[in-house]
Amino acid sequence: MGSAEQDEYAAFNEKVRRTVFLDNLSPLVTESVVRTALDQYGTVKSVEFIPNYLEPRNMPRCALVEMEKQKQAEVVISTLSELPFMMSGMPRPVRACAAVPEMFGDRPRKPGRQLHVHWLAPSDPNAEVANKLKKLVKKHATETAVMLKHQLEKEEKLAKQQGETLKANCKKYEMIDTLMADGTVRRLARRYNLRISDDSGPSTFH
Amino acid sequence: MAEVGGTEDLEFKWGKKKGIGGRKKDVQFYESFTYDGVDYALYDNVYLYMEGEPLPHLGKLIKIWETGDKSKKVKVLWFFRPEEISNYLVDELAHPNEIFLASGDGVGLANVNPLEAIVGKCNVICISKDSRNPQPSDGDIQMAEFVFYRTFDVGLRTISDKIDEKIAGTEVKFIFNLPGSLKPSSVHNFSVDDKNASEKAIGTNGRVILSKLNTSEDQIPEEDRQEEQKPVVAENLAPSELQENGFNYKTASSFKVEENSDLKVSSVKPNVSQREKLVSGVVTESGGLAKRNDRQENTSGDKTGFSRNVKENANSSAEKIGHVNQVKFDEKLKSVKDTSELDERPHKKAKLDSSVKVSNDKESLRRPTDPRGTAKNSSNKPKIEDKLTKPTNCKTPAMPPNDGKRTGDKVVAVTRMPVSDRSSWFGEIPWEERMQDAHEQGKLVLFQNLDPTYSSADVEDIVWTAFKKTCRAKVVQQTACSSPHSGQAFTIFDTREVAEEVITKLDKGCLLLPNQRPLVASIPNPCFSRKQSMFAGHLIVDKLKSQREMKEAVSTSHCSQPNTLEYDMAMEWCLMAETSNVFWKKLYEQQGKEIKRVKGNFKSK
Repeated sequence: MGSAEQDEYAAFNEKVRRTVFLDNLSPLVTESVVRTALDQYGTVKSVEFIPNYLEPRNMPRCALVEMEKQKQAEVVISTLSELPFMMSGMPRPVRACAAVPEMFGDRPRKPGRQLHVHWLAPSDPNAEVANKLKKLVKKHATETAVMLKHQLEKEEKLAKQQGETLKANCKKYEMIDTLMADGTVRRLARRYNLRISDDSGPSTFH
Repeated sequence: MAEVGGTEDLEFKWGKKKGIGGRKKDVQFYESFTYDGVDYALYDNVYLYMEGEPLPHLGKLIKIWETGDKSKKVKVLWFFRPEEISNYLVDELAHPNEIFLASGDGVGLANVNPLEAIVGKCNVICISKDSRNPQPSDGDIQMAEFVFYRTFDVGLRTISDKIDEKIAGTEVKFIFNLPGSLKPSSVHNFSVDDKNASEKAIGTNGRVILSKLNTSEDQIPEEDRQEEQKPVVAENLAPSELQENGFNYKTASSFKVEENSDLKVSSVKPNVSQREKLVSGVVTESGGLAKRNDRQENTSGDKTGFSRNVKENANSSAEKIGHVNQVKFDEKLKSVKDTSELDERPHKKAKLDSSVKVSNDKESLRRPTDPRGTAKNSSNKPKIEDKLTKPTNCKTPAMPPNDGKRTGDKVVAVTRMPVSDRSSWFGEIPWEERMQDAHEQGKLVLFQNLDPTYSSADVEDIVWTAFKKTCRAKVVQQTACSSPHSGQAFTIFDTREVAEEVITKLDKGCLLLPNQRPLVASIPNPCFSRKQSMFAGHLIVDKLKSQREMKEAVSTSHCSQPNTLEYDMAMEWCLMAETSNVFWKKLYEQQGKEIKRVKGNFKSK
C-alpha cells in the first residue's frame, strides 16, 4: 500500500521532469498550436493550461506541456531560451522553463509525509505571533498583487511603445516603397551620381 | 451519570495468579485477566484510552496486579507513534504502520495505569531482524495493526534498531514476538491461564485462547523474576495507598455532574502525570513517589492541583465515567480497525498527539498558574513541563470540555479525510464549474499560507483534522512568479454555514500548520470568465493584416532570426522578463526575511 503511494509519487516525479512550463502565452494559443509548435522537438504527450482564477485577467497564460521523454523537454527548454520563440503572434516570445511539482494541481501526496496541526489557545503567547504572521501573509499577498499589476502595466507600456516604433518603421518602409515606386529614388540617384543598380528592395517586417 | 455506578460491573475476571508482593503482602500479581469480554495476558499489546484524545496510546502490559484496596493496576511499557517523536525521527519509516518501542531510562518509558484504561488489544508485530526475534511471516505483518523494530530511548532521545536485553525490567524475549503468538488474528503474546480460558474462552470478539502454553518451566523463572521485582512492588504500593485520597475525589466527582465533565477533560493528565511519575516511579524511588503525592494532596485545594492529583487514581475517574466512554471508544476503535482493514490505508484515524511531550515543547506552554509541577520537573525534563502544564490549560473554563474541535494546545497529527464520497465526485462536473457554483452559493473558501508543496489531498486532510468537515480542495497551481512562501488552495465546503464557520474560526483562532504557519482563510473573488481578450505584446501591422505571409507568421510558431525587427523587439521582451524575474526574486526574498523575523518571536525553539 505504502509502496503504491511511493510508486505513484515516483511516476509523478517522472512526469514533472519531462514537462515544460510555458509562460507568456497569448490567449489565442490553443492546445493544437502548442502541439504543432513543439512537435518538432519531440512528441507532445499532453498540454494543460494552468487556470488563472485569482490573478488579473490580462495575465498571459501558462501551460504545462508534457513531452514523451525528459530529453525532449530539455531540448525544448534550451531551444526556447536560446532564441525568442513566437507562438500565435509576435514579437513577444514565449518563455519556457522546467516544471516543478507545485505547478501541478493534481499532484499526489508526498509519501510518508505526516502533518501536524494544532490550535493555539488564545491565551498562548504565541497566538499573538501567529496573528502577526497571518497579517503578514495578507500583506504579502497584496504586495504580490501590486507587483503583478505593476508588471502588467510595464508590459503594456512596452507593447504600446513597440507598437509605435513598429508603426513608425512601417511608415518608413512604406515611404521608401513609394519613393522607389514613383522613381524618386532613381532620380535622386542620378542627381547625386549614385549607383543603385542592385535591387535593394524594401525589407519587410521580417 | 446514572450508569456511573454500573461501570464497576463491567465484566471483569482475574486470570492466573502470579505472586504476592507489597509491604503488607496485600498486592496480588496476575498473569491474565478478562475485561469486557476480552482476555488479556501479560505482555499483550494494548490500546490505552486517554480521555480527550481520540487515538489511544499503545503499550505492552508488563505487570498486572491488584492492590490491597482492590484497585487494579497494570504497568505499561509504551510504544511511540512516529508523530510523537517526529522531532527525532530522521529516517523514513520502514513501514507505514511503524511504531517505536520506548527504551532507556526516563519519562515515557513505562508507567502504572489503572487497568480500566485498557480499551482493547492491539496486534503489534516485531519485525526486527534480530536473531532473538522469532521472525514473522508476511501474513503476520499484513495482519498486524502496527509493527516495530526500532526503539526510542526516552532518556537520550535517540532512535535505534538495537533492542536491549531488558527494557523497563522486561526481558527481551517478551518484547520480541512470542513463539506461538505469530498466528493471524491472535493478539496473544502469552498464554492465558486455561482455567480462566475455559470459563471465559469465548470472548465477545470470538477470539479463542491459545491455552496451555504456559508450562511450568516457563513459570519458574517467572516467579523468580517476581522475587526480583519485589522492591518495585513495594513502591507500587505507595500509590495504591494514595488511592484512598483518590477515592475522595472520585466520590466528589460523581456527585457533581459538572465536576465530572470537568474530570473528563482532565483525565488526560492523570495519565500524563503518571508517565511523569515514571521518572521517579520506574526508576524506583518510592520515596519520591510518595512525596509527590503528598504534595499533590496539598495542592488538591486548587483546581489545577486537583486535576493533576487525579493522577494515580487516574482512571478511577475514568472508571466512573468510564462505561460510556469505554463503549463509545470501543466502537471508535472498531471502526478504526474496520476502515483500516477495508481500504488498507494506514491505520491513522483522528488522533491527538498523545505525547505532547515531544512535539509540544516547540511552543513551550508554560502556564503561570502552575508553579508546582513545573518547578519540580523543569530541572531534568522540559518535556514534562509541557505535559504538566497542558492539563492546566485544558482546565480553563473557557475550553468547553467536549468541544472536539478546539483541541487546545495539543498537536494533532493530520489524518486522512474519509474517502467515502470522493469517488462519486470524480468524473462528474468539472472542477471549474463546481467551483463556480460553490462560489455563487458562498461555499468556496480560499486558504492561504499553506506550504506550497502540499497536495490537494493534504489540504483536505488538514481541514478534516482541524474542523472535522469534509470538503473538496484544489491547490492553486503555481506559476513562474508565484510566492514560494504561501501556497493557496480553493476549498469547497458542503454548505455556506460551514464555510463561514471555518473562516471565522481561522480568523479568531490560530491553526498552526507545520513549520509554524498559521492558516489563513478568506472568501475569494475568483474570475471564471475564460474570455481573455487582452494580451500585451503581440502586434499586428494593419497594412500587412491581409497578406498571406503575415497570417502564416501568426498562426504558426517559429524562432525569430537575429537580423529582424521582430528579433529586436523580442529581445526587449526578454530583457523585461529578466528584470521582472529579478524583481520577483527580490520581493520574495524580502518577504521571506519578514516572515523569518516574525517567526523568531515564537517562544521557545
